[in-house]
Amino acid sequence: MANDKKNNESPLKVNRRHFFSQLSVGIGSLALGSLLIPDLFKSDTESLSSMPLGIPHFAPKAKRIIYLFQAGAPSQLETFDHKPTLRKRMGEDLPESIRNGQRLTGMTSEQKTFPLMPPAVEFHQHGKSGAWISDFFPHIAKIADEICIIKSMHTEAINHDPAITFFQTGSQISGRPSMGSWMSYGLGSENKNLPSFVVLTSRGKGNSQGLYSKLWSSGFLDSKHQGVLLRSGKDPVLYLNDPDGISRSDKRHLLDQVSSLNKLHHVETGDDEIESRIAQYEMAYRMQMSVPDVMDVSKEPESIIKLYGEDCQVPGTYAANALQARRLAENGVRFIQLYHQGWDQHGNLHNEMAGQAKDVDQASAALIMDLKQRGMLEDTLVIWGGEFGRTNYCQGKFDPKNYGRDHHPRAFSIFMAGGGVKPGITYGETDEFGYNIIENPVHINDFHATLMYAMGLDHEQLTYKYQGRRFRLTDVAGNVINDLIA
Amino acid sequence: MVYNNKNRWFDYAIFGLTVFLIFCLLFEQYIELPSVVAWLGRWHPMVLHFPIVLLLIVLFLGLTGRPIPRSLFVVAVLSALVTAISGFFLGTESDSKGELLVWHQWMGAGVALISVFWYTLDGVGLGQKFYSKALQIVLIVLIGFTGHYGGMVTHGEDFLALPLNKKRKAIPENPMIFADVVNPILDQNCVACHNPNKKKGSLLMTSWASLLKGGESGKTILVGDSGNSELIRRLLLPLDDEEHMPPDGKKPLSPDEIKILERWIALGASDTVRLDQLAPEESLVGLVKNLMEPDPLVKWADLPKVADSTLQNLDSDYVTIERVSGNSQALRIDVYLPPVYDAKAITDLKRIGSNIVELDLSGLPIGVEEMAFVASCANLEWLELDRTPITDAEVEMLRNLKQLRMLKIYNTKIGDQSAAVLKEMENLKRVYLWETGLSSAALVELKLKRPNVLIDTGIDEETKAFFVATDTIAKIEDK
Repeated sequence: MANDKKNNESPLKVNRRHFFSQLSVGIGSLALGSLLIPDLFKSDTESLSSMPLGIPHFAPKAKRIIYLFQAGAPSQLETFDHKPTLRKRMGEDLPESIRNGQRLTGMTSEQKTFPLMPPAVEFHQHGKSGAWISDFFPHIAKIADEICIIKSMHTEAINHDPAITFFQTGSQISGRPSMGSWMSYGLGSENKNLPSFVVLTSRGKGNSQGLYSKLWSSGFLDSKHQGVLLRSGKDPVLYLNDPDGISRSDKRHLLDQVSSLNKLHHVETGDDEIESRIAQYEMAYRMQMSVPDVMDVSKEPESIIKLYGEDCQVPGTYAANALQARRLAENGVRFIQLYHQGWDQHGNLHNEMAGQAKDVDQASAALIMDLKQRGMLEDTLVIWGGEFGRTNYCQGKFDPKNYGRDHHPRAFSIFMAGGGVKPGITYGETDEFGYNIIENPVHINDFHATLMYAMGLDHEQLTYKYQGRRFRLTDVAGNVINDLIA
Repeated sequence: MVYNNKNRWFDYAIFGLTVFLIFCLLFEQYIELPSVVAWLGRWHPMVLHFPIVLLLIVLFLGLTGRPIPRSLFVVAVLSALVTAISGFFLGTESDSKGELLVWHQWMGAGVALISVFWYTLDGVGLGQKFYSKALQIVLIVLIGFTGHYGGMVTHGEDFLALPLNKKRKAIPENPMIFADVVNPILDQNCVACHNPNKKKGSLLMTSWASLLKGGESGKTILVGDSGNSELIRRLLLPLDDEEHMPPDGKKPLSPDEIKILERWIALGASDTVRLDQLAPEESLVGLVKNLMEPDPLVKWADLPKVADSTLQNLDSDYVTIERVSGNSQALRIDVYLPPVYDAKAITDLKRIGSNIVELDLSGLPIGVEEMAFVASCANLEWLELDRTPITDAEVEMLRNLKQLRMLKIYNTKIGDQSAAVLKEMENLKRVYLWETGLSSAALVELKLKRPNVLIDTGIDEETKAFFVATDTIAKIEDK
């Protein structure tokens, strides 16, 4: 019995209790809590040590990723997939041979006909590559030769939450680690004063879907790999700043005392996690300096502000986040995840997309140009795209002036730039209706495998054993798309 | 020596086989073998080991003046004859014999005939004469050469070449796809069996024309249709499939090599196309470029060993030291600005200086001391010095960094003198130098001198102006 009791009080369990009792469980405190207590749910150290972690498997093309996620799923037919047929055959029913049994969402499953809808905007060819880009995105069009457009993305999910979860974690069912966490787990931190995975969110005026912190959760990986949400405004990281009346030297004194107590505890129990905790307290202390510094855009020259657009001085906008993303990348953050909400155009597509595009077009293009002039496009991979595509037919009543498009998983477009990806190419092709892929399909698993390859990781080797089996970001699928790699 | 009956029968056998062998060699072109006999030839690779060993034993005994057991001598000579004859049978399977095979055949026959001659001399008691000894020495040399030539026929001519000589020779700038890329792959993997000497499956892979001609199984390559080309089909078969090429026990081609062959066939299997004639999105371009750029890990293999513990000691909150990948000795170092800056954080890295291939000192208040350290990192390929207080004097110190490929020096106070240093950096591929004191005249001259170096002077004015101009989206909304 005495033995049993001892087992029940293993250091691991004590730590978790301490965690819950010492931190008030607010949603915001999770962000900091994850930094303070790494390795909380770490089960066996052996599976980790079986492979050198924190080092790429082979020489990487990219050292960091900036993912400009367009949450809600922008229509491929108004961005990069130019389909003149839709204009010619406007109002005609989508042929059954094309739809071919594709399941529908609850929103259009009652619909009797599927009238084809023309693109809401004109397309033109741009750059030396002659890439087709819609007039919604004049700035991205201007830099067409820097980007690699993929018109043949496809997914299995048909609703936002499973689709975005699939994109972020490699599984439609939540609970797996986010890809930023996998990168942090596989490559470690480039700058020990900042988290290796950072999240920034913004919201446009278009129809939005929710964003949940599970999208940047570390799942079963060590919680130090969790994405840290940086908020706009006074406190980018909640509870990071000292309370009023506490000076930095007081804080130093406090930390030293806490640390000496923790060290005593470590001598008593020999639990390595206590050491990690001491280290994370120290990191949070350094973040008190490094985070405000990296968030402070006041030193950015006028020319950079103009490049990203005046919006970038308004905290919380996409443009501000894009500029922030560059600063974070400069400071060695491995994975910078932006989300811009409002791309779910089930109706009023024309106006809403114009607004959404205006939010992101200039800043996205500016970010790429800014990275380029800093030589950072050589080792930073920028990705722009949503979680699925949109239907080529109209949702609801047929009205060429004001219509919407439903969710479409079979084909959609994203683009990438830098980080060892070929610039100035368009990859993959869809049929004349923009409905099915006819050439070079890229599944989300392939996309993940390719990103990992660019970062110097073999997607089949980076695994984590949990609940009796080894997990990967790509699970049991995925092929590196070598044609995208420069 | 006493002759008994049994020995005489062996002598008759030796005599008969000798006559048969000579007959075969003389009337080679008139001989048409029935398939069963040809099949006997397949035993050649097995049988050949016996005469080598047995003859060498007999030769050893003979040269050291010891008595040679007659029965051993008989078996050795018989096996030499059988081997030569079976080898001849095997040789008839290839319709035109290459140079190697012809040599092997005649030397093999020589071994058999000379051993018969020596056996006869020994039989009549002249085994210890000086000319008999000379014969034995010739025999040893001949056995060696026959074996070696036979080995080259089976395993390829460079089978015994030193690993150093086997290294694929560097691919030139803008290579010919067939001559510089495809052919070396075939050379390394296929030609060992598909050459004029061996010609397995009647297929020659030594030249573009012979490759397109095909062999026993018909066309090897269907121009423009890699999926149905016999070559690709066989390469892609499972390893244990009988028809998989290269056959059992030989190193299979790498996936990239197969892809190169596939794309080359799909694009028309031309022998004249060059790299720059391919579309940029063509996957062959990337594959070939990968081959052209040597694997950095190989390049860095000669760096001195550096222990993990050394790295841990030098690593700190503001200095991140990483191995470039896996167990590579090449290091990448990022230094961030601590609240209290001390040059020691950087100069301490001196002991691992020669391992550093990438160094990021962006935004740090570095001075001469730090730059002296940077200048001592001889293997540096990637250097970030942007937003630092460096001037021409510090850039001058970089002159000895011969490996430097990428240099970021934007947002610094460097002037025209730096351009002179940049001009002389042989390996420099990319340099970022906007917002510096460099005059536009110096920039123009630099660009002229180094046309292959990407010189980034910031976002071009036209794009900048476009970004600053009124947003075009508002107009669409107005419509």
